[in-house]
Amino acid sequence: MLFFATTIDGLQMGLCFAILALGVYISYSILDFPDLSVDGVFPLGGVCCTILMLKLGMPPVPAIMLSFLFGFLAGIVTGILHVKFRISKLLCGIIVMTAMLSVTLALTQLLTRNGMTTTIFSFRSEQLESIFSGEFVQLLGNGNRDYMILLIELIVVLAVKVLIDLFFKTKLGYMLRATGDNEKLVVSLGKDVGNYKILGLALANGFVAVSGAVYANLYSSYDNDSGSGKVVLALASVIIGMAVFSRLRHIKDTTAVIFGAIIYSLCLNYLVLVDSEGIYLKLLNAVMFALILIFNDKIVSFMAKRADRRSGVAQQ
Amino acid sequence: MIELKGISKTYNPGTVTEMCLFHDFDLTVKDGEFVSVVGSNGSGKTSLLNIICGSIPVDKGELLLDGKNIGKLPEFQRYRRIGRVYQDPAAGTCPHMTILENMSLADNKGKPFNLTRGVNRERKAFYQEQLKTVGLGLEDKMDALVGTLSGGQRQAVALIMTTLTPVDFLILDEHTAALDPHTADIIMEITDKVVKEKGLTAIMVTHNLRYAVEYGSRLLMMDKGQIVLDKAGEDKQKIATEDLLDIFNRISIECGN
Repeated sequence: MLFFATTIDGLQMGLCFAILALGVYISYSILDFPDLSVDGVFPLGGVCCTILMLKLGMPPVPAIMLSFLFGFLAGIVTGILHVKFRISKLLCGIIVMTAMLSVTLALTQLLTRNGMTTTIFSFRSEQLESIFSGEFVQLLGNGNRDYMILLIELIVVLAVKVLIDLFFKTKLGYMLRATGDNEKLVVSLGKDVGNYKILGLALANGFVAVSGAVYANLYSSYDNDSGSGKVVLALASVIIGMAVFSRLRHIKDTTAVIFGAIIYSLCLNYLVLVDSEGIYLKLLNAVMFALILIFNDKIVSFMAKRADRRSGVAQQ
Repeated sequence: MIELKGISKTYNPGTVTEMCLFHDFDLTVKDGEFVSVVGSNGSGKTSLLNIICGSIPVDKGELLLDGKNIGKLPEFQRYRRIGRVYQDPAAGTCPHMTILENMSLADNKGKPFNLTRGVNRERKAFYQEQLKTVGLGLEDKMDALVGTLSGGQRQAVALIMTTLTPVDFLILDEHTAALDPHTADIIMEITDKVVKEKGLTAIMVTHNLRYAVEYGSRLLMMDKGQIVLDKAGEDKQKIATEDLLDIFNRISIECGN
């Protein structure tokens, strides 16, 4: 029973972090830019969405959509630091991430009476009407709440996935792929490669913020510390997804990344079963990520062999 | 027509490794000329190309393309009228995109890269026709990732891509140097064909003296940032590879190589 509950919880987290992973897929895989600002932009999306919903009374769906914009702006800052001021990729991310720690804290004060937070770093409100509660869920029927959450998350994730897939089939999308693949070619085509980098980072961080917004909705709370470890989580999801699934034909990278996020989140949740006190949780996370990276090639060659054998049988 | 007037370039100025490469360098390439440039390492061949394309800044001098000064334009803006094929076959294509996607990118040069469809299916036949001229069977591999092709095939795709849209000026930067002799011959022949068919103005830097003699309408030999030999038209026809090698060796001996 505990195992079942852990699985459901892991799936809910996994789908929420799939949006995060899709964003990081744009910066890390497409643009070849390991963007560390994710740790700061994830809570930024959460706090902006919470303010829009609690203070401005906006319904959850437009609030989540608008939070994309705030992540987009943060991404532009990262991009400009790198492109215009030639600061190295990792340092740009660290600068924006650090700045966001204060920005989100300041924004959190808007949410509280007398500018005081309920705890030092976090704010929790039961009155938050999220996309997972109230009228919105009832539109979809009266099922088990956990399953309804999964269904809504799935709709959001698929919408993001389809948007990204469509975008990367356009001329502009091609240019972004070329920017990560071969900058020289973009220059040869007479275009300023820096603009495409900034745009790519902005889009990536937009989706990271959306993920943060959905996360706030999921737990009806906003936590200023929710960003910690999100870079590792997102990179692990992208790398696992791409390693395990993308060698299989007819599976798009975006689909692979979504599965990667679900697998990693499930594993994280099962670790809680092993270490219930949570002291070694982060260590186990790190070890698991390291093991996956170490055995990555073996998994890939195993999957490829199986796929070959299967297609071989089909040909005979 | 491209004109370089009084170009000066010093590397690492003010340091012990200071090296003056160009001092009041002049060069004019007329429309329709196919110039081969030879010279030993460090003679300034590639620097010359980099100066034209804006990959490196100059200290002094003017760079005119059809009478217009382009010396102040950033690199990417100059490529709107210049096409360049690099020595590294990987430099002119996107390895993780298919041939069709690469061709579509190149085909859109000069037009806006907006949110319309990346691949225009109606143009596919045209791309295949262009690739067919190379004779490497690339037209049947439109959906293959360019990264899976051999160096020669990639260089052929890069060459076709560069000349797909009209350019005023083609820069060939030792574009056969990384290929095996046989493939290099094929690429060189294709280059010659494309340049003639499209009536391009071109500068080709090469280490292959035979190519320099056999192809092109004008031959330059460079040494220490200066043009030591400049033959065009009939004068160039008379030069044999052996003559060129003689001059080449004489310069090298003077330098103590």
